[in-house]
Amino acid sequence: MWKTIVRRFLIMIPQLFVLSLIIFIMAQFMPGDPFTGAITPETDPARIEELREKNGLNDPWYQQYGRWVGNAFQGEFGMSYTFKRDAGSLIGERAVNTFWLSLASVIILYVLAIPLGVLAGRYHNSLLDRAIILYSFVSYAIPTFILALLFLFFFGYTLGWFPTSGSVDIKYDPGTFGYIMNKIYHILLPATTYAILGTTTVIQYLRSEIIDAKGQDYVRTARSKGIPMRKVYSRHIFRNSLLPIAAFIGFTITGLLGGSIFIETIFGYPGMGQLFISSILSRDYSVITALVMLYGFLALLGSLLSDIIMSIVDPRIRIE
Amino acid sequence: MKNKSWSLLAMLLAVLLVLAACNGSDDTKEKSPGKDSDGEKTSDSASGDLLTLSVENKGDAVKGGVLQVALVKDEPFQGIFNWELYEDGYDADLMEWTNNTIFEVDGEFMINDKGVATLDVDEENLKATVKIRDGVKWSDGEPLKVEDLILPYEIIADKDYEGVRYDGDMKNVVGMEEYHAGTADTISGLKKIDESTLEISFKKLSPAVYYGGDGLWTYAEPSHVLGDIPVADLLAHDLVRKNPVTLGAFKIEKIVPGESVQYVANEHYWKGKPKLDGVLVKVVPSSSISVAIKEGKYDLVQRFNATAWKEIENLDNIDVLGRQELYYSYMSFKLGKYDYTNNVVVTDEANAKMGDVELRKAMGFALDIEQVSEVYYNGLRERANSLIPPVFESFYDDSLEGFSYDPDKANEILDAAGYKDVDGDGLREDKNGKPLEIKLAAMAGDQTQEDVISFYLQNWKDVGLNVTLATGRLIEFNSFYDKVQNDDPEIDIFMGAWGTGTNPSPYGLYSKTAVYNFSRFSSDELESILESIDSKEALDTDFRGKQFRAFQEYMEDNALVIPMQFRYELFPVNKRVKNYNVDYNSLTSDNLQDLELVAEEPVAAK
Repeated sequence: MWKTIVRRFLIMIPQLFVLSLIIFIMAQFMPGDPFTGAITPETDPARIEELREKNGLNDPWYQQYGRWVGNAFQGEFGMSYTFKRDAGSLIGERAVNTFWLSLASVIILYVLAIPLGVLAGRYHNSLLDRAIILYSFVSYAIPTFILALLFLFFFGYTLGWFPTSGSVDIKYDPGTFGYIMNKIYHILLPATTYAILGTTTVIQYLRSEIIDAKGQDYVRTARSKGIPMRKVYSRHIFRNSLLPIAAFIGFTITGLLGGSIFIETIFGYPGMGQLFISSILSRDYSVITALVMLYGFLALLGSLLSDIIMSIVDPRIRIE
Repeated sequence: MKNKSWSLLAMLLAVLLVLAACNGSDDTKEKSPGKDSDGEKTSDSASGDLLTLSVENKGDAVKGGVLQVALVKDEPFQGIFNWELYEDGYDADLMEWTNNTIFEVDGEFMINDKGVATLDVDEENLKATVKIRDGVKWSDGEPLKVEDLILPYEIIADKDYEGVRYDGDMKNVVGMEEYHAGTADTISGLKKIDESTLEISFKKLSPAVYYGGDGLWTYAEPSHVLGDIPVADLLAHDLVRKNPVTLGAFKIEKIVPGESVQYVANEHYWKGKPKLDGVLVKVVPSSSISVAIKEGKYDLVQRFNATAWKEIENLDNIDVLGRQELYYSYMSFKLGKYDYTNNVVVTDEANAKMGDVELRKAMGFALDIEQVSEVYYNGLRERANSLIPPVFESFYDDSLEGFSYDPDKANEILDAAGYKDVDGDGLREDKNGKPLEIKLAAMAGDQTQEDVISFYLQNWKDVGLNVTLATGRLIEFNSFYDKVQNDDPEIDIFMGAWGTGTNPSPYGLYSKTAVYNFSRFSSDELESILESIDSKEALDTDFRGKQFRAFQEYMEDNALVIPMQFRYELFPVNKRVKNYNVDYNSLTSDNLQDLELVAEEPVAAK
């Protein structure tokens, strides 16, 4: 298995290489550049041209690409044109925010969805099952921004239970206990929103797997050996039913850094989703490339992680 | 069957939820107007605006207090707190509280002598003398020096300076180019006369110098702390990002990057220590700002989107102040190309598709901009009669007619000019009887923008003109300017907008050498009018006013650019704020030390 993992990592290198090449060529087709947005009657076109020249934007793409690869190998992804700071540290700052938000929402997601899925499957066709199905349809049907706005208006403004924007109150100093608690407080509402929207898939998978497993031979065997139903569910059925969810977990983990543009915009939470969209709109090339590379890497890593996890959970599966 | 009915129910429920969400915003509309319950409004605007410029709330001021400000923005701010280096307008909004400007300006943006420094221009010898007031101190207690006025020039001219401001204007200061090239250690045009006086030499002078143009820099930087930092390192420095030393009423105490800034009163402020303890500015997403205002979360709202006006119009806990923006939108015609090797506009009116002035005029008269302003923009935009926003009172001329909606006139003009419908399909052919299809480039925006553009297309169809969208759809902002600037042959006409800045000179937008002269029209007559607007004689306001009039008449007679709309900007102010004024003649932001509050917390709507 270790051999396979190392091999998969080695294959990633050419894959990422091709990805970076594609981004660079595609970027050439995007109209405008980081300075297009800077024009007002007062900006001097000659100065803009000078800055383009200085930043090497007038060079042919393969020269720009060569420069970029050279720097990337030294861990430098260039300066963000809009934020005027190192793209790496800018992304790092946002990634931390997004990571905590996503982690919280994944935890809430599983805490909500697993019991619901198990209950729905166990009491199949009961009133409870139907209520859960109804809930999962509704949560699936609601567009992200509508649920986010509803939650924000109701829990944030009307009830005043949660903060309404930002990632932390300004009065706390970084590193203190209050600061961390305040950050968690700010994350709760957006994370819950995010989690509720994601529950459907998990609930549906779990439910149908459990219904499926109930009729399996091994359940009958276990029952005939006299194992109590509660134990059959927690030991035998549950473990088997988790398989399809385990298949996704790798992607879920690496997806933590993806961010959500809707949630971030509505809750005023500075994260990766927003950074990605705004860097595309402002043609902030260095940030775009760094982000796409990061996402590409995470996707590859995610599929590898999923394979590894599957092989641990289900001993029948071996990765070669 | 059973399952089907369940999912139907689920769908119904979802629809209900959506409807409920929509209802939420409707509620506010029905509330009865609560104006003048405890406030007094004054309107002293020259053009009889539909909104008031200032508000005064009754009640005794509380001691101190922190002003809660919302900055409406859907993404984090950039946070470059330096007037030479910042590029995003939102950073300027944040710097308004700390303000390093050395001049104050009057209602028409001309420098007066009420600020930190006074300006004295010697037009004969191309010199300006800047004299600093006695006793002005930086927020760290150090006195303001002449060196602090010189430092910004040195930052901008530095070879490592990456900003847009090292431009033609700044090179107008004698010695800037030598300093930039590294052939001089100092900027020879900047001379320290004594401890409080700076003399600046220019290569040429125009009326722009009185507006802070021609290379005159209107901000100071603290040389005692910034002076020794290499310009290349400034952008990342804490004195730019975290705790800048400033001159204004408040100073930055703390920042959460991209989210909020906390200011405290600057005890060294030269107009006296502010009555408030501080100011807290938070970035608030546009999707929830109206609710935040209603719930009384903020005292002031900066950059409120005027299209959301209906949502807050009738709230009883705020007053909505409004003023005209330094902005006009326009429609223009491609009449030539820009020669990028020689940097001149090459006009080819005779061969251009839109070369017929009668056709251009008819297109202007056909647009029902009045109705668009009323229906789509709630009257917060109005038809522009010329290319100078009314804020510039000395140069704005309300007697100019512009192109008011008159479809009959448009039809008449087109009939007379020989654009007839030959094949009877309801659309006019060109003078030679060939089909005439005009390609319009317009920028993509929100839903309103799409509706408005299709409305305009219909307007043109009504007078028999076949106008279609270049590329088949609205064009994304960057692509739009890319295409317009590069004279894409697919574009015949285009709709854009300019923020004019505080110097109304149209030279940079319509002259023979201007890249931004997007219509690519230039003539000797236009050129001489533009030059006289910025000439020495134009230092006399009356003369300049006449030249502006001539410019606008020329543009109108030749229908080169059809002015479309002027626009209002809105400032929601909570009833807790004792008085607030957005009139350019008496801005509260010039006297922040006097700002007071009348309650402990912002007031929520009843």
